[in-house]
Amino acid sequence: MFNRTTEYDAIVVGSGISGGWAAKELTEKGLKVLVLERGEELQHGIDYLGEHAPDWKLPFNGKPNRKEEAEEYSIQSQNYAFSEANKQFFNNDKKNPYIRNDEKPFNWIRADVVGGRSLLWGRQTYRWSEQDFTANSVDGTEIPWPVSYGDIAPWYSYVEKFVGISGQAEGLKQLPDSEFLPPMEMQALEKTIKKRLAEKAPDVTMTIGRVAVLTENHNGRGACHYCGPCHRGCSTGSYFSSHSSTLPAARATGNLTLRANSVVEKLIYDEATGKVSEVHVIDAKTGERHQFSAKIFFLCASTIASAQILLNSKSEQFPDGLANSSGTLGKYLMDHMLSMGGVGVFLDDMDSYYYGNRPNGIYIPRFRNVELKDADADFIRGYGYQGTAGRGDWTTDFNRRGFGAGLKEKLRKPSTHWFYLGGFLECLPKASNRVTVDPQNLDRFGIPQVSVEFDWSENEYKMMADMKAQANRILKAAGAVYIVSDDVKGLDGSADGPIGGMGIHEMGTARMGDDPTTSVLNKHNQAHDVANLFITDGSFMTSSSCVNPSLTYMAFTARACDYAVKQLAAGKI
Amino acid sequence: MNRRGFLECAALLVGGVTASQASFSLTDEQKVYLATASDYVASEVDFFTSDQRELITHFSEIIIPETQTPGAKQAGTSRFIELMVADWLNDQEREIFMSGLESIPSIAFNSYSKRVGDLSEIEMLGILETLEEDASDDPWYAFANTTGAFGEDHKSPFICQLKELTIWGFFTSEVGAKQVLRYSPMPMSFKGDIPLKEDDSAWAGRNS
Repeated sequence: MFNRTTEYDAIVVGSGISGGWAAKELTEKGLKVLVLERGEELQHGIDYLGEHAPDWKLPFNGKPNRKEEAEEYSIQSQNYAFSEANKQFFNNDKKNPYIRNDEKPFNWIRADVVGGRSLLWGRQTYRWSEQDFTANSVDGTEIPWPVSYGDIAPWYSYVEKFVGISGQAEGLKQLPDSEFLPPMEMQALEKTIKKRLAEKAPDVTMTIGRVAVLTENHNGRGACHYCGPCHRGCSTGSYFSSHSSTLPAARATGNLTLRANSVVEKLIYDEATGKVSEVHVIDAKTGERHQFSAKIFFLCASTIASAQILLNSKSEQFPDGLANSSGTLGKYLMDHMLSMGGVGVFLDDMDSYYYGNRPNGIYIPRFRNVELKDADADFIRGYGYQGTAGRGDWTTDFNRRGFGAGLKEKLRKPSTHWFYLGGFLECLPKASNRVTVDPQNLDRFGIPQVSVEFDWSENEYKMMADMKAQANRILKAAGAVYIVSDDVKGLDGSADGPIGGMGIHEMGTARMGDDPTTSVLNKHNQAHDVANLFITDGSFMTSSSCVNPSLTYMAFTARACDYAVKQLAAGKI
Repeated sequence: MNRRGFLECAALLVGGVTASQASFSLTDEQKVYLATASDYVASEVDFFTSDQRELITHFSEIIIPETQTPGAKQAGTSRFIELMVADWLNDQEREIFMSGLESIPSIAFNSYSKRVGDLSEIEMLGILETLEEDASDDPWYAFANTTGAFGEDHKSPFICQLKELTIWGFFTSEVGAKQVLRYSPMPMSFKGDIPLKEDDSAWAGRNS
C-alpha cells in the first residue's frame, strides 16, 4: 500500500548541516521543498532536555549509564559528546545497527533526530585552501578535484556571513581567513605559549579556534552565554545548527514541508526521462509507506547514509546502484585520523584563572609540507592541532592520597596548569575503504543494512609519528616542565590505534570529478548519470584536507542549490 | 520551575533574543526536564544495612569533612554512594565494594578490639589509612589516571572505590558545587585571564 502525495519542486533527504542549507537555499529561491528526516521530531529549545541541567540533576550525577551504553549505544557512547544529558539526540545502535567489520572497523557516529549532527558537531569552522584542492593532482593520488579554491571562496563568504564564525584573521595561505565575528579570548597560559612559540618555533602559528559560536548577536540569534556544553542544545541559538539557523529561515519562506520519522528506502529512476522521479519512504513510527515526487532531489543524508540509499536504489539501468556507472559509488571513504599529540604541564600563570566556559580551544594550522614537501617528511599532506589550556581540579586529582580537611582543601582548588594538543590528520582516499549494502542483513524496515570497511594507510601512520614528535617539540618550545605523550599505535591493524569514524568527519563515497568514468558527481555536485540528482553532504569529497569539513559542505551545498535552480529555470533539468 | 519558565528566564538573562526564538511552543509544558527534575540523590535506595549505611556516612565525612564549609554528610554523599553501589557498579565491582565494607568489623576487632559502632573517629581514620597504605601500589594512584576506579581493564580495591565515589558524589552535589566550589551556570562572558587568589575554589560543573 502506497500513499502518493503532491509533487514538490525539490526533495531534500536529511536535515543536518547540508540538508538544512539545501532547505534554506531552495525555499528562498521560491521552490516548494520537502525535507525528509529519518530521525524523530525535535523542537528548538523545548526538546533540549539536558540544557543547563546541573550534575546533581543527572542520573548518577552525570556518570555514564554504562549498562545502557553497552546495550543500546555501543558505538555512539564512544563519542566524546555523548552523555546522559543528550543521549536522546543519538542513534540507538541496537535499534538501528550497521555491519561493522571487526577486521576493518569503522565507528559510525550518527544522530537520529531532526537537525541531525548539526546539533552535536564540534563547531570548529575552517576554510580549505588552494593547496587542499590541488593536493590530489600535485602528488598524483587518485583523481583531481574539479573545483578550485577560487571557485568556492565566494561561497565560503556567503555561508560564513549567515552562520556567524568567531575567529582571528591570520593571513595564512594554508588556512584562508573567514568572514569573522570577534575572536574568543585566549587563556593566560595560551597567550604565554603563543608568545614563546613566536620566538622558539616561528614556523608554527597558534590562533584561537575558529568556531560557529556567536561572540555577538547575529542574524536574530543571541550571543553565547558561555554555559559550556553546546552539544546539549542551545535555546538561544548561539551556535549554528539547522534548528537555530537554516530551518527557521526555510520555514519563514512558507515553502518548507519537513517530515520527520521518514526513512528513505530508495530513489526511483525513470528510464524514459533519465531522471529520478520519486522517493520511497517508510514512516519509522507507523510503518506506512509513502512516495513523493519532485523535479530535483538533494541527498544530504550523510556520507554513509547517502551511499546506502543510492546502493539500494537499483534499476535495470543501474544494477549496481543509482548513478553508479563509474563503479566508484561507496568507495574512497575517508575520515580524519585523530590522535593525541601530547599534554604539557606548566608552572606559568599559576595565579591566573578564567571565567565562563569557552566552547572553543586554540588551533595550530598545518605547518608541514606547506607549499613544497618538507625535506625531512616521510609522508605527504599534513595535519593541524586543536588544543586548549586547562587547570587540574577534583575531576583530574580525585586519586590523591590522604583524607580529611587537607584533602578537601586541595581538591576544591585549581591545581596543575596543563596544555593539550590533539592532532587532526589528513587521510588519503583509497578504493578499499568502502560502504556496501548487504541484502542478507535487513534492518527493522526491511532495508538492506550498510556495511563499512575501513583502515588507515601507511601515510597516515607515518604522519602520526611526525605529529607526535612535532607536538613534543612544540610543547618544549612552549615551556612545558613535564610532557605526557603516547606511542604510535595501531600500525598493522593492532587494536589500540585510532579507529576510523572517531573523527566524525566521514567523507567520500560519491566523489566529484571531471571524468564520469571515475567519479559519481560533476563539479556542481550533480550526478554525472542523473541530471536531477545532487549530493552535497560529505559524500562528494574527493580528498579530505586536515581541517574540519562542515563549512565546506555548507559552501558546496549553497553553490549546488544556486546551480540547480538556474538549470531548472533554463529547462536543462 | 518548568522548562518553559526556565527558558524564559534564560532568554531574559541572555537578552538580544528575537521574538521568534522566545515564542517557544507551549504545548509541551507537561514534560519533565532534566534541569527541573529532582536530584539524583533523592532517588529511593535500600541496599546497605543500617549499620553499613552509618559506617559509610562516617567514612565519607572523614574523607571530606565539614570545615568552614559543609562536608560529605551535609551533601548527602552516603546516599549517592549507596545508589551507585546498588545501581551503577557492575557485579564484579559491587563484589569488591561489599566485601571491603563487610571486612571492616573484623579489621576493627583485630586492630582495636572494638565493634564498629564503638570506634572513635581517629580509629576509623586509622582503618582508612591502613587500607590506603595496603593499596598504595594500585594503578588508581598513578599520575594522570583518567579512568578512575571503574575502568574496563582494572578493578581497583575498596578504598579507591570509596574515595572516588565520595569525592565524585560530594563535588557534583548541589552543596559541594555551590558552597565549596564556585558555581556559575550562566556566566554570560568568557574571560581568559582573571586573578586567582590564594583561597579561590575551582569552578563547579564538568560541562560534558
